[in-house]
Amino acid sequence: MRAREAIDVLARNRGETVAVCALGMAANEWWAATKSEDSFYMHGAMGFAASFALGLALSLPQVPVWLINADGSLCMNLGCLLTEASQAAHNLKHFVVDNGVYQTVGALPMVNGGRTDYAAIARASGFPRAHTIEALDELERQIPAIVAEDGPSLTVLRVEPEKGFLRTPPMTYEGPEMKYRFGRALERRFGIKVFGPQGY
Amino acid sequence: MAMDVAERIHEQLTRCGITLAASLPDDWVAPLIERITADNQIRHVRVAREAEAVAICSGAFFGGVRAVALMGATGLLTCTGELATLNLRHQIPVFLIVSQRGSIDDHRIYQEVQGRRTIPLLQAYDFPYHIIDQPEDVTSIPDAFETCRMQKRPFVLFLTRRLVKGEGAS
Repeated sequence: MRAREAIDVLARNRGETVAVCALGMAANEWWAATKSEDSFYMHGAMGFAASFALGLALSLPQVPVWLINADGSLCMNLGCLLTEASQAAHNLKHFVVDNGVYQTVGALPMVNGGRTDYAAIARASGFPRAHTIEALDELERQIPAIVAEDGPSLTVLRVEPEKGFLRTPPMTYEGPEMKYRFGRALERRFGIKVFGPQGY
Repeated sequence: MAMDVAERIHEQLTRCGITLAASLPDDWVAPLIERITADNQIRHVRVAREAEAVAICSGAFFGGVRAVALMGATGLLTCTGELATLNLRHQIPVFLIVSQRGSIDDHRIYQEVQGRRTIPLLQAYDFPYHIIDQPEDVTSIPDAFETCRMQKRPFVLFLTRRLVKGEGAS
């Protein structure tokens, strides 16, 4: 299974979901597949898209929130799994694109060399549901049930590393513009006030 | 922390409209965290690393929820990278309440670097801060919170030893 194929399946099944993407490959591929402004694409704070997604999910408990994470980012903040499990946000689903390498910097290998079972770590952290999916047809078969189940759940998508750099271009806006596009998109969709009457 | 000070701070956080708190305790802010935990109007998230609290509050901002991160000075130092690359990068306000460890009356050798270098570090990042040293100044919290939102960046509210432990406490 290739990363882009897996992301395409998620994108087709996202429904009303709001997504938070880890920086790099996950964010770029999600942008390529969805062109969605009601998604937040991390540009930094590697490892902490998970925490950002949790804060969003707790603040909008009626809204399904998906975290599109990657194995490099997860490993930079494995403790996020303890926090997610303890908060038990029923509307939060955590996907991990696991290719075993730091793809964005040229596919250099990660520390664990494929020896780590992230779903087992999630279950041991207190996640009631965790899955590992190795093949595209398996993902197609399982995604309806994963979408339907209560969170928190963690789904590891085992994908092949690409050779060298992945050239998928990033989203076409950044920094403060991303803040305002994302915040305004959520205001429109959910009738909430992210910004005050003077715009800040 | 003297109970009345924790109570006063808690009252001001409620006045700010804060309904989510994320924390990793330092012993100076622990009584405030305990008060917040007991308040069923505030969702309290215990974290395993301080930068989680920063990112949780940042995510909550986009849900239209007012949030606070609570931690010690050492914890603040650990999340400067995330404060820069998430909050400074995207101009996302995050309000932090931090114990001002390493002050001249904090005779803990493992806090002395935090005392010397934390404020110069905040100045280097251009993160605003305010130091609360007296119980009467606790009422400045709503102004500090609004300034955080207006300046669209991390704002650190320091609590001094004199404030949380009282005058002359050992």
